Amino acid sequence: MLQIHSTEELLKLVALGSAAAAAAIILWYLFRRPHLHRPTKVLLLIGLGVLPGVVSLTGNIAGFEYTLSRPFCGSCHVMSPYLRDAEDPESKSLAAIHSRNHRFGENSCYNCHADYKMFGAVTTKLNGMRHLFKYITDYANTGPDGEGGPTIKLYKRHDLEEKRMTEEAFNAHMNGICMQCHSTRSAIWVEKHGDFADGLRAFQAVCIDCHSDIHPLALSRRVAAGKEAAK
Amino acid sequence: MKFLQVKTLVFFSGVATLVALAMMSISILYPKPLLLVLAMSLGQGIGILSLALYLLAIALDLQSGSAFASLPESEVAPEPEEQQPGPGE
Repeated sequence: MLQIHSTEELLKLVALGSAAAAAAIILWYLFRRPHLHRPTKVLLLIGLGVLPGVVSLTGNIAGFEYTLSRPFCGSCHVMSPYLRDAEDPESKSLAAIHSRNHRFGENSCYNCHADYKMFGAVTTKLNGMRHLFKYITDYANTGPDGEGGPTIKLYKRHDLEEKRMTEEAFNAHMNGICMQCHSTRSAIWVEKHGDFADGLRAFQAVCIDCHSDIHPLALSRRVAAGKEAAK
Repeated sequence: MKFLQVKTLVFFSGVATLVALAMMSISILYPKPLLLVLAMSLGQGIGILSLALYLLAIALDLQSGSAFASLPESEVAPEPEEQQPGPGE
């Protein structure tokens, strides 16, 4: 018996069912070549317009939902070390700790790396297109974990270095990601952060300045570690 | 002539829709980044184009008062040939 566990699976099922029905109508027409009476025209309108429209809509939503998931992010080999660390139950990195949190679950990459403002989902996906272009042009023939490719730079950090973003805006963006969940108001948090609390809230300091162990297997870190070892 | 145009347009529309459906279905079954991008751009573009072809075919058919496409090919009267002048004319 077919079991559906999520909305994404239901949407996929609807999309594939509609695609099969549309294909059946079109193949019937192409092989039988009936006369174009009104019932045939209506049936063809369903097969050529309505059902493909359903496939497109449900497929888009299901596809978008899937692009939020960690397996999707890890489907480019460059991301393999990040994925291995995030899924390692023994890892103490920030990425792994958050990935073990059921509130983040399968979408842990997206939850931290997505823009969170009004058009955040759109700008995130546009940036994803840039990643895909970079992957095809720069990383496709690199080593199993992306060795030999250019160093990956988080785009906001890159914007800051290129002076396309002020430091305050950068800090606000970075801390804003953490503050989506960490309100900075709980008693334990205030006690632990002491004098830093106000600075963090005013975006004068960045959370990851101290909590820097985010992706220990990141390619940029391995390059740096390699250079250190060579010295 | 219009009869053939309508039939040909509907045929190409059907084939193009099948291609679009295949692209979209593959991206649903194997959601890899490149396949998703192709399905959401090229696949849907082909789908829209094929629907436009079909609507064009219907418009042509309606323009001709549905006189051609709804008839079997054998019943469509051939276009009248130009009359040859007789020997005495």
